[in-house]
Amino acid sequence: MKGFHFSILLSILFLGISSCAREKSGVQKTGTHPDIFPDYVGVTIPEGIAPLNFRIEWDSVRHSELLIENSKGKSLRVRAGQAMKIPLDEWKHLLETSKGDSLMFHLEVNRNGAWYRFSPFPVYISSDPIDYGLSYRLIAPGYEIYSKMGIYQRSLNSFDQDAIVENTLFQGSCMNCHSFRQTDAENMSLHIRGSQGGTVLLNDGNLKVLDTKTKETLSNCVYPYWHPGGNYIAYSVNKTQQTFHSANPKRIEVFDHASDIVIFDVKRNKLFSCDPLRSGKNMETFPAFSPDGKSLFFCSSKVDTLPLQVKNIKYNLLRIDFNPESGKFGSSVDTIVNASASDYTISFPRPSYDGRFIAYTRFNYGNFSIWHPEADLWLYDTETGINKPLEALNSDQTESYHSWSSNSRWIVFSSRRVNGLYTMPFIAHIDADGNAAKPFLLPQEDPDFYDMTFYSFNVPEFINQPVNMNPDRLEEAVNNEHVQLRFEERND
Amino acid sequence: MLKKISLSGLSSLFFGLVIFLFFGLFYAFHLHYQEQYQLFLFTAHYFFERVMQPGGLSNYLGAFFTQFYFYPWIGSFILATLLIFFQRILLGTARNLGAAKNFFVLSFFPVLMYWGLLCDENYLTGGLVAILFVSLSNYLYTFSRSGTVKILFILLGIPLLYLIAGGSVLFFFLFLLIYELNEKTRSWKFLLLFNLLGVLLILTIPFFLKNRLGMFPPVSSFLGVNYFRFPINFPVIVVVIGFLLVALPFVSKYLSSRQFPLKKSILIVQVIVFLLFGSWFIHRSVDFEREEIMEYDFYVRMRKWEEIIHKAEVKTPQSPLSVTCLNLALGKKGQLGDRMFEFFQKGDEGLIPDFVKDFTIPMVAGEVYYHLGLINTAQRFSFEAMEALPDYQKSVRTIKRLAETSLINGNYVLSKKYLKILQNTFYYRKWATYLDRAMKNEDLINQHPEYGVLRRMKLDRDFFFSDQEKDMMLGIIFSEKKSKLVFEYLMAYCLLNKDIQHFVQYFPLGETLPYFTIPRHFQEALVYAWDVSKSEVIKDIPYPINREIQSSLNKYRKVYTSQSNPQSLLRKDFGDTYWYYFHFRN
Repeated sequence: MKGFHFSILLSILFLGISSCAREKSGVQKTGTHPDIFPDYVGVTIPEGIAPLNFRIEWDSVRHSELLIENSKGKSLRVRAGQAMKIPLDEWKHLLETSKGDSLMFHLEVNRNGAWYRFSPFPVYISSDPIDYGLSYRLIAPGYEIYSKMGIYQRSLNSFDQDAIVENTLFQGSCMNCHSFRQTDAENMSLHIRGSQGGTVLLNDGNLKVLDTKTKETLSNCVYPYWHPGGNYIAYSVNKTQQTFHSANPKRIEVFDHASDIVIFDVKRNKLFSCDPLRSGKNMETFPAFSPDGKSLFFCSSKVDTLPLQVKNIKYNLLRIDFNPESGKFGSSVDTIVNASASDYTISFPRPSYDGRFIAYTRFNYGNFSIWHPEADLWLYDTETGINKPLEALNSDQTESYHSWSSNSRWIVFSSRRVNGLYTMPFIAHIDADGNAAKPFLLPQEDPDFYDMTFYSFNVPEFINQPVNMNPDRLEEAVNNEHVQLRFEERND
Repeated sequence: MLKKISLSGLSSLFFGLVIFLFFGLFYAFHLHYQEQYQLFLFTAHYFFERVMQPGGLSNYLGAFFTQFYFYPWIGSFILATLLIFFQRILLGTARNLGAAKNFFVLSFFPVLMYWGLLCDENYLTGGLVAILFVSLSNYLYTFSRSGTVKILFILLGIPLLYLIAGGSVLFFFLFLLIYELNEKTRSWKFLLLFNLLGVLLILTIPFFLKNRLGMFPPVSSFLGVNYFRFPINFPVIVVVIGFLLVALPFVSKYLSSRQFPLKKSILIVQVIVFLLFGSWFIHRSVDFEREEIMEYDFYVRMRKWEEIIHKAEVKTPQSPLSVTCLNLALGKKGQLGDRMFEFFQKGDEGLIPDFVKDFTIPMVAGEVYYHLGLINTAQRFSFEAMEALPDYQKSVRTIKRLAETSLINGNYVLSKKYLKILQNTFYYRKWATYLDRAMKNEDLINQHPEYGVLRRMKLDRDFFFSDQEKDMMLGIIFSEKKSKLVFEYLMAYCLLNKDIQHFVQYFPLGETLPYFTIPRHFQEALVYAWDVSKSEVIKDIPYPINREIQSSLNKYRKVYTSQSNPQSLLRKDFGDTYWYYFHFRN
């Protein structure tokens, strides 16, 4: 009896194999690259990146086979269904031997019993390394009310994500504007908003909570940027309002009625500023120190009647000298990018850490680019003065926040290109001349992840190591240990 | 057959039937309400996300059961079953301790209390599941007398139960403690070890897991389970029930072993006390006013306009939200201008409620904006309602609405995202799959009786939303889309605000609309406007006014001007007119 069963099993197995072999022999070539999500066709990736798992965007896919090979003859084969999940270890091994090379992805798909072979597509492996991971805020793309949210960190060479802090720890709170000193995870600033709120400062691993509103300043500190030396953080202070569009495609308009820039002296717990950064007739915001620490870039616009004249609000990119030893500013302000002259506005100037480029967001008006579908990323070359759109990175949907890797060869940016609402983190290689390669969406273990999530990836920042913020210590500091900042008037 | 079932069994069945009928017949819309404010997904990610926190499994199972509340009779059955299971476990525990049969009524008290709690829409099913887990653990504990098994119960039971049922584990430990103190054969060394282990585990495990399984403040972290929708509120009555479930088995045992007056008639005494206490407790717990609001809201959600009007005809709604639902139904059936003052009105608050940071009002207000064609605003209100849920849940009703608004706005990719989420639910899967397929055919969407109409009503001209200028917004929408519903809302808004001047100013906007006659209340307002400003009303008024309305106004005016207290006299004949609202309603 057992023998009888065994022979039946063998027959079935044989039939199965011969059937597969027969199907595979009639593979039809599509002559096109596959339609996959995320779109990894022709992207440039770093060596230390998690597997590029993807979903085949065809209906009725039952089986699929993927062969990935490099020019040295190393390969990796995966059999799957609609969702292609590449084994982590084999992927890492393949990438280790492919630095500076390219991988070819050969994909065959069985749809309704017939096999199709797509044209192979390349993925380029840059020899430029990337940082340990990313930090971002996960928040539902809502309006005024926020449910669960948090600041999270994600290792780039795996799918591991940890919460740095979640707002469930401080009920009813919101948290935003996390920032690092040039990707340094030991020097971080973030704001907790709400009744227990404050600015959390992680300075060389030591944690303290600051109350940043003073009677001399407009508001609590808002948009941050660390001085490369770590002794200062530039913040904007803003009187912000939001209102809501009634007709598609725009949803929200956020604008400032007034804003200034202040510098926080980390060691002395003091804020200071200067007249050009606190001008009454202009609004100054989005500060960013140059990598040598001797300049402060910022955006500035004339004040107008809001929200009626919101379309008249156009910010330019300006620069002022800064002496990190004395903490004094220069007397003159230079215009770096005169966006208003071409009827545009800009936000988020971010100098590359090698000092060569300034990436920024350009859009039609205002300062809150995330709700502007026309917002695109631009690059200003400080050596040549060439100012150009990063066309390889832009789409017909919003591209907004962006930050550089520590070696200035990678940029991570938020984009709404996938569905027009949920912000997702894309990473792109930028070469030494400012040429951008096709960006890739941060890989997730489950290719359906971005469809199923309720969260936007907000303010993606590179980090050089995991952030070590003890939530118990944070809770204690937020609840009991606030340091009130003082504003220092200066006459220089 | 019945002879084989004991009196306690029959009582449980009867009690279960009462609960089943109560929720099915009288409290069905509370169940609908619960169902809409969560989103249970049949995905591994949802499971692990929910389970990986103290009390997570109870929350998960609670949400699992709640998804079936869309069908109230199934929901009633689930609740009745869970509550009766709770009672039978308590009874079994008491019996295992040696309680006499005629003390079985005591086991109904905590169950009755939990039934009362569940009459509050903010008490969630997960809490009941957690209490059940604890009761079941207590019950299982009574089966063994072995010291080793008991130590294992402590060592494994406390950590496991903390993960499954959160802070309710305290009642497990208390039960074990009392149980062991009652065991005369235990040595003091055993008791010392037992207590030390228990106290150590109870104190250290929550401390160790805090901020490791989710980040929560100390009390929420210890409680784990969402007994109450608002985590900031400590569920005191659940704690009372917890103590009762610990104490009652021992009390039953104690009473069984003692002689005292009335012991022979103890069953009757228990039944009388239970009925008296039960009637009082359930009476103070139920809220039929809220049930009525939930019913109106549910009908709006299901587009059951005629049911709303019929319900209001039987009993006019009083709360602003119910009135909002009624006015929307009247508007959708083309009766707003003719009938709105037949019912109690609550100013413009009962027409289009203002936005508040809450999860109920924006949900209803969002429905109004949706049907008016203000799709962006409908989307915002629904989204905000979901985000305002204090227990950090997502709302299946909102996700469905977001799929619809994205579809109407033409963002199919976004709509498909929401539909994909809904395809992982029990009830909405079929609808989501249908709509997902329908999107492949643009004509199908354009011809859809609701989405097609709303797509055509969708605004082309953008403006900033303003709660304070609803008439301006309605005017802009009407000027663009010429919707009869929008026109009637604009007119109703002026009428409800007693703003006759703007009513008269805006009224000519509707002259192109296909009316056979001007709606009754609009005629009443027009004739009144001319009456107060001109002497010869009929002669001057440029609109066709029904003579009956004119003569009715003359009669009304006569009483109104001649009587010192005309309200009571006018209510009978003129209570359903705009004039009465204008003069006597705040």
